[in-house]
Amino acid sequence: MSRSYDRALTVFSPDGHLFQVEYANEAVRKGTCAVGVRGKDVVVLGVEKKSVLQLQDPRTVRKVVMLDDHVCLAFAGLTADGRVLIDKARIECQSHRLTVEDPVTIEYITRHIAGIQQRYTQSGGVRPFGIATLIVGFDPNDTRPRLYMTEPSGIYSAWKANAIGRSSKTVREFLEKNHKDDMTKEESIKLTIKSLLEVVQTGAKNIEISVLDGYNKITSLELSEIEAIVQDIEREKEAEAERKRSRLAATAAGQAAMLSRSADQSEGQ
Amino acid sequence: MFTILVEYAMEAISHAGTVLAVLAKDGVVLAAEKKVTGKLLDLSGTKEGGYGGSGEKIFLLNSNVVAGVAGITADANSLVNYARTAAQKHLYSYNEDIPVELLTQRLCDLKQGYTQYGGLRPFGVSLLYAGYDPHYKFQLYHSDPSGNYSGWKATCIGANNGTAQSLLKQEYKDDISVEDAVALVLRVMSKTMDSTTLGSEKLEFATLTVDPVTKKPKSKIYRPAEVDALLKKHDLAKKDEDAEMKTA
Amino acid sequence: MDSSFAITGKGYAIVAADMTVSRSIVKMQYNEDKIKVLGSHLLMAFSGEPGDTVQFAEYVERNIRLAQIRNTYPLPPPSAASWIRRELADSLRSRSPYSVNLLVAGYDLSTHEPKLYWIDYLGTMATVPFAAHGYGSYFALSLLDRYHDPEATVEEGLATLRRCIDEVSKRLVVTPGKFKVKVVDKNGVREVEL
Repeated sequence: MSRSYDRALTVFSPDGHLFQVEYANEAVRKGTCAVGVRGKDVVVLGVEKKSVLQLQDPRTVRKVVMLDDHVCLAFAGLTADGRVLIDKARIECQSHRLTVEDPVTIEYITRHIAGIQQRYTQSGGVRPFGIATLIVGFDPNDTRPRLYMTEPSGIYSAWKANAIGRSSKTVREFLEKNHKDDMTKEESIKLTIKSLLEVVQTGAKNIEISVLDGYNKITSLELSEIEAIVQDIEREKEAEAERKRSRLAATAAGQAAMLSRSADQSEGQ
Repeated sequence: MFTILVEYAMEAISHAGTVLAVLAKDGVVLAAEKKVTGKLLDLSGTKEGGYGGSGEKIFLLNSNVVAGVAGITADANSLVNYARTAAQKHLYSYNEDIPVELLTQRLCDLKQGYTQYGGLRPFGVSLLYAGYDPHYKFQLYHSDPSGNYSGWKATCIGANNGTAQSLLKQEYKDDISVEDAVALVLRVMSKTMDSTTLGSEKLEFATLTVDPVTKKPKSKIYRPAEVDALLKKHDLAKKDEDAEMKTA
Repeated sequence: MDSSFAITGKGYAIVAADMTVSRSIVKMQYNEDKIKVLGSHLLMAFSGEPGDTVQFAEYVERNIRLAQIRNTYPLPPPSAASWIRRELADSLRSRSPYSVNLLVAGYDLSTHEPKLYWIDYLGTMATVPFAAHGYGSYFALSLLDRYHDPEATVEEGLATLRRCIDEVSKRLVVTPGKFKVKVVDKNGVREVEL
């Protein structure tokens, strides 16, 4: 084998950075946004769907995929890398069932995916995967919803709610402010959509929502359902703004009254 | 570094001969602009024998898939070879024609690998796949050097693809018939190609339909004489200037 | 001593397999399910060398499932059967071949008809209206020749199957015992009691 072929592509820089991994993170930051939110006994995946071009077939633009009957994955970053990594994960899901006769746990498949991602930051002659993933689902014989994230470096972590991709920092801050423990299904879906609306200006038609409420129970919301919730959120925002305006008006009126009273008093003196 | 290489590859494609395809309700139509031309070029091999086409732009990948390529021709040849092998491997295992999307995926996995594994440059080729299978009937896919692919109703790659794309957007109608698609493809091609006149030395053309009798997919890559006849029928053929002068 | 039968009828296929696991002259188990459900509309009865059978059936099951998850649609019965046959044929030419005989039955959702394939451990495959493997086939095939009707209803089909099982129970030196019976039609797979 030629030496130049298996030379490492990813090397430490003098100040301890792995540039290739950071480039991969950059690819993730350019990808469309994906959000995961865990409720009491539900976990919701929401993704920003790039507008499908007029002549494009929407079936072939997929951001949320099934790894097995009980595991869902959303990714942000290079689509082609995503497809390859997803295929490796799907094989592992079935292989695991074959060898130990049990479905994978969500943590197991997350660890497996993160492991593959890590290998590609270290082995010779390869570049890292330019994707981050959110992995959600329920373990067999368990009712607790699970949500994990993996990154190009191979790090994986469990979350109550998190976002990856474009503007994920903004969305994460929004989630940190608004996430509550033990949310119902409706609350979780609403929070997911609300947080996505922070970065998706075009509303419901560019949002895709998958809801997992139990082992093997995966549904995706219809456009009309998402539209209804978006309208709901907009109404609430409107009402909130209205309240703020009237409160502002009230204080302004109060101040004006106080001013005129003090003026009256000074006149009286 | 990877993205730069892929972007170079994409750049190479935007100068390549245009490939254009339209998905119709009863078939798919594919046309491509040939760049290798010359008075002394021997094209006799394409007149008869083979399966049609000059082997530059349009290829038969399997009995149910025809592809048009844009980019580095040498890379394209090796991808076409890979695709044909992949299709036969599927036939070997499953005793059926490979589903169109699966063939697209096979090629995209290879292309993606060339962007990730060291020491190799990416393939400088985009492809359009026109195909038929029982799952999704007629289909049209596009794949690029990074290994991305997506499905389309009508699309275009290579030089002037922006112009062609917007023309297609204006003129495409859902449930268009193959006949109308042929006319649409030729019309758009004649507007986007550099040369003012169309002829078989500059154009490759193919259709994929289902045979009404056998119900099996039927691909037809036009031979030079057939291309000229088609152009004549649609009033886009090269005018004989001398003849015009005489009549004038 | 395995016996398995399958028949097709009007819009359905029925698969039956005995439930006995034996070693030498001893019955070890009498409630083994030897029919794998490979998908919403696909069944596979397996018999042959104990150990090989389960190993191969589970391998097939996971690969068929993987194909469905990858493509979002299931493999249609003809492609699934062809793939299974190819695996057996490749196995036969390997260092450790599987010795497994199969009946693959399914309902093809694209052509709206039942499909039945007879496959043996040598990688032979035949598309058939009815089929049998094991000692049971010596009695059942002649009965099926006489009584099989491609236009029969599920009830009539089950009655024909019952004839086969009764005959085997009557004539074979060792009675196979209970049979597991599964039906596949346009609505999917279901188990029936004989």
